[in-house]
Amino acid sequence: MGFDLHFALSTIPTIIGAIGATLLATILSCLGASALGFTFEMIRRGGGASGLAVRFLIDFIRSTPVLAWLYFLYFVLPFYGIRLGAMTVGILGLSLYYSGYLAEVFKAGIDAIPKGQQEAARALSLTRRDTIVFVIAPQMLRNIAAPLGNYFVSILKATPYLAVLAVPEMLGRAFDIASETYRYAEPLTVAGILFLALALIVAYGVKRIEQRLLATGRR
Amino acid sequence: MLAQAPHPASETLPLVRIVGLNKWFGALQVLKDIDLTVRAGSRMVVCGPSGSGKSTLIRCINGLEHFQKGTIQLEGTALGRNARNTATARRQTGMVFQGFNLFPHLTVLANCTLALRRVLMTPASEAEEIAMRHLTTVRIPEKAQAYPAQLSGGQQQRVAIARALCLNPRVMLFDEPTSALDPEMIKEVLDVMIALAGSGVTMVCVTHEMGFAREVADEIVFMDEGRIVEHASTEDFFSAAAHPRARLFLDTILSR
Repeated sequence: MGFDLHFALSTIPTIIGAIGATLLATILSCLGASALGFTFEMIRRGGGASGLAVRFLIDFIRSTPVLAWLYFLYFVLPFYGIRLGAMTVGILGLSLYYSGYLAEVFKAGIDAIPKGQQEAARALSLTRRDTIVFVIAPQMLRNIAAPLGNYFVSILKATPYLAVLAVPEMLGRAFDIASETYRYAEPLTVAGILFLALALIVAYGVKRIEQRLLATGRR
Repeated sequence: MLAQAPHPASETLPLVRIVGLNKWFGALQVLKDIDLTVRAGSRMVVCGPSGSGKSTLIRCINGLEHFQKGTIQLEGTALGRNARNTATARRQTGMVFQGFNLFPHLTVLANCTLALRRVLMTPASEAEEIAMRHLTTVRIPEKAQAYPAQLSGGQQQRVAIARALCLNPRVMLFDEPTSALDPEMIKEVLDVMIALAGSGVTMVCVTHEMGFAREVADEIVFMDEGRIVEHASTEDFFSAAAHPRARLFLDTILSR
């Protein structure tokens, strides 16, 4: 049984039909993981008991499989009366899981900012919040645009995990076709190419953003 | 606390009053029993060999460094434990660093307006007006839209001076403002500082530029090993420094 190009083309509309779920999961997970990761890093930086707790949490997250998080949130939480939709659990799981990694990326990005920047902000009487928003965060983003983009692509590529929760994303949809037709090569190839296309778009976008950030004056 | 009746001395209340200041970095004592008063309008140069504590002293004045003993008051407000007082006191100071510390992601103009907008809540147009006025003072208004990386060291330091001036501080603190500059750029920064001194701004300047000190300062503080060993008028300091360390320092610096 060879590769049937005609059949492959015929699966495209069905698989592309799931692109919305893939994109939604990717975008919201990227935002969630970034917000959570940055918050974690700020708390960890603050030190004290909460800083230590967050440090432990980050290490814990990073040393557990993402599937374990998804199963846990989906199957265990309902026992405690928390019922969430498959998509919500998926986004929550990916956000939590990747927040641990992004916290490390943010840490590196902040550590690379010279100490004099914080001192200048203090000398100008900026509040701690304003210092983070107007001085630290923009420079941090410039430092980490590339690794941050890599993790965004990773999150995109992790969305097929949500198939275990029956979220109708692209790879899951492709596998459904395969199960129905007993033809695996064509739908899986199509799904692979679509993922490649999305990953390239994300990578290109990140590169553009990085160039714009760097254009505003290197030190 | 009851409001105190205005007393006749308030006119001459010192801008900065340091009493019995002691500071340690771990086991190392870097400031020893510092007593120092800066009057309004004073142009004070702090000098001394490296490691003598002069930068640490000036960084204590705006609360960038904590200290363990003694008091620092800015116009009567004490720096130290009370965060709100420290903030109030710090707002009276402007600081210029050895390494400029401009914000690299912001234009020259935005560097100057950031604190105006966020700290003093000045409206944008007014903040830009104030910033442009100070950029003109430091003779670099044409670079308002440039980024720090596009400027030379001397230009960056002049922008840093303008940025500090924007908050209208009562005292300007300079921490070795020319030490990181190439020789040909030192003059343009010193010229701006000389003009500033002429306009009556109170300044405390840590520097090795003794020519500048002689021309601009009205008093000179000489530090050695964490102590003020000589505090004299500029004339007295250069003609008759009493302390042997100060004499040695002067001989070395002036014979270069």
